[in-house]
Amino acid sequence: MDEIANALNMLVTTPLVPAALGGLIWGMLGGACPGLSASITMALLLPFTYTLAPMPAIVMLATCYIGAEYGGSIPAILIRTPGTNASAATMLDGYEMNRQGRAGEALGISLWSGVVGGLFGLTMLVMLTEPLSRIALLFRPTTYFGLGILGLSVIASLSSKSLIKGLAAALLGLMIATIGTDPISGVSRFTFGQPDLLSGIQPLFVMVGLYAVTELMTRSGVPSTIMKPNTTVRVRLPRFPMMKKIARSQAIGCTIGTLEGLMPGAGGTIAAFIAYNESKRWSKYKHEFGHGAEEGVAGPEAANNTVASASLIPLLSFGIPASNSGAVLLGGLLIHGLLPGPRLFEQNADVITGLYAGSFIADIAQVLIGIMILPVAIWLVNRPKAYRSAFILALVLSGVFSVHMSLFDVGIVLSAGMLGYFMKQFGLPFLPAVLGVVLGVALVESNYRRSLVLSGGDFGIFLEDPIAIAFFVMAGLIMIGSLAGEWRASRAAKASMA
Amino acid sequence: MRKDLLLSAILLCIAAFYYWVSTDIPVSTLEDEVGPRGLPTVLAALLAMVAIVIGVRAILIPAGPAEAKEAEAPWPRALGMLVIGALYIPVADFIGYWGALLLLIGGVSVYERMKPTWRTAAVAVGGATFFWLLFVVVLGVRQPQGVLF
Repeated sequence: MDEIANALNMLVTTPLVPAALGGLIWGMLGGACPGLSASITMALLLPFTYTLAPMPAIVMLATCYIGAEYGGSIPAILIRTPGTNASAATMLDGYEMNRQGRAGEALGISLWSGVVGGLFGLTMLVMLTEPLSRIALLFRPTTYFGLGILGLSVIASLSSKSLIKGLAAALLGLMIATIGTDPISGVSRFTFGQPDLLSGIQPLFVMVGLYAVTELMTRSGVPSTIMKPNTTVRVRLPRFPMMKKIARSQAIGCTIGTLEGLMPGAGGTIAAFIAYNESKRWSKYKHEFGHGAEEGVAGPEAANNTVASASLIPLLSFGIPASNSGAVLLGGLLIHGLLPGPRLFEQNADVITGLYAGSFIADIAQVLIGIMILPVAIWLVNRPKAYRSAFILALVLSGVFSVHMSLFDVGIVLSAGMLGYFMKQFGLPFLPAVLGVVLGVALVESNYRRSLVLSGGDFGIFLEDPIAIAFFVMAGLIMIGSLAGEWRASRAAKASMA
Repeated sequence: MRKDLLLSAILLCIAAFYYWVSTDIPVSTLEDEVGPRGLPTVLAALLAMVAIVIGVRAILIPAGPAEAKEAEAPWPRALGMLVIGALYIPVADFIGYWGALLLLIGGVSVYERMKPTWRTAAVAVGGATFFWLLFVVVLGVRQPQGVLF
């Protein structure tokens, strides 16, 4: 009861509502722009949140993620171009509905399913996060080291194409994390006498550079193949019979979204496609799939919106991001000095209550905002790509400068963009590098060295902590599973070549 | 295969350079068992190993069929975009935020194949003014002042 009273009090005494709505609108517009994924949209928002208090900053980032998931479905349905990766599954039947002159209905189903999925994911988040985080009360430096290794092992499941390249990317991220003052001895490392580097390179700058600047570089001069959406489309929310028809696929989407949100590396895209498949399998109207099935829109949308909240469960409990967007949110938490785990719930209860309340507001408000914002989103999609690129670069440079009022930071972001371009050319994934930067020194190195200081240099200390051992075993299993998957895939490829 | 061999060579160079710079990390009286050089040394060694594995795999395992890729900018054009961003730093330092942004928006638009018409100029002026109002006036964030004005 007290928590509900606190949340209600927050509505009037803090900037919770404007932060939730601001994040939601930003997310919807960003998600609606083809080429800007949910993580890029969030990364572009990060510099703005830097000067805010922790609660509105985190609320803005979380609701931006919620907004981007719906925003992505707008171009997917209208112009057969998914705004975010997760909305690619929505496109399959959403665009077919548009071709049949039912675009407004498809957008309405997408919006309604987003609300259902978002509220379900939020319920799971509220129910599961705090109990799970209590486990972390038992943590010692050795356990945190084990957790860091487990977090880094997620790299394996995120490097679907090549584990070894994922490892290379993670090592590059870890190397970036070692720049600055050593956390134990206080000596400077890799600063080349540059005072601006003494405090290290903030994950924020690496993320903005890798996600946003790299995308601008890669797409430079590539002609836009996006078709013009119909500007007269209006959202039509489903009526009761339609709500009943799509309820089964929404339930499937919510269940799959929760499970995938809990699993590191899975993310909204996989959840959306599995939900599409399962919705088809369990549907009474299988023949409609691929030809404008309402359930084909409802299932994936419910799934990817559930993931937006459910993926916060491992993030807030243990600090393990399940996706690119989760990594950006983790960066946002760390920027404001908030460490995931039980202490976050005890010492920063206002942030958690605000996050829940803000997500709830965003989930409910997305019906109204989604309807109101559609003409703006269509206008934005219709802008020439050249202007969009120019404005995004201007936003990146202005936003990054405003963090420390430093042009040096702008240089860091551009360098990260250059690194991202190099990585993209050679097929190195970004997320392992981001995880390396975020988890590297703060979690892995510091706790490893603290453990050895406590034991007087005895490595046996790591074997005296059962939770740490469990984390090491889990990390090992993830790596072995990933290697086995890669081996199977290469054998299948060889067989198909033969 | 050639790309992976090149990647392997580049990663080896990065590992060697990183290790070489790590040998310059000063000794501290507060040093613990591992020391500030511990992690960098391990990272350099691991990256070298990963680079070798990538190289060996590139030689031993035949390349599979090329995957369909989205259209991408050739590297000189991509680098050009980065150069425009980099030029913003000295220009903003010299002529200030509004002017630098005007040039940036106009420059990127033209670089992205938009014709340098009055419309493009108007978008650049409007964009620079919009960002100036947003950051300097509404958010109260100080942006580069410049020395010229």
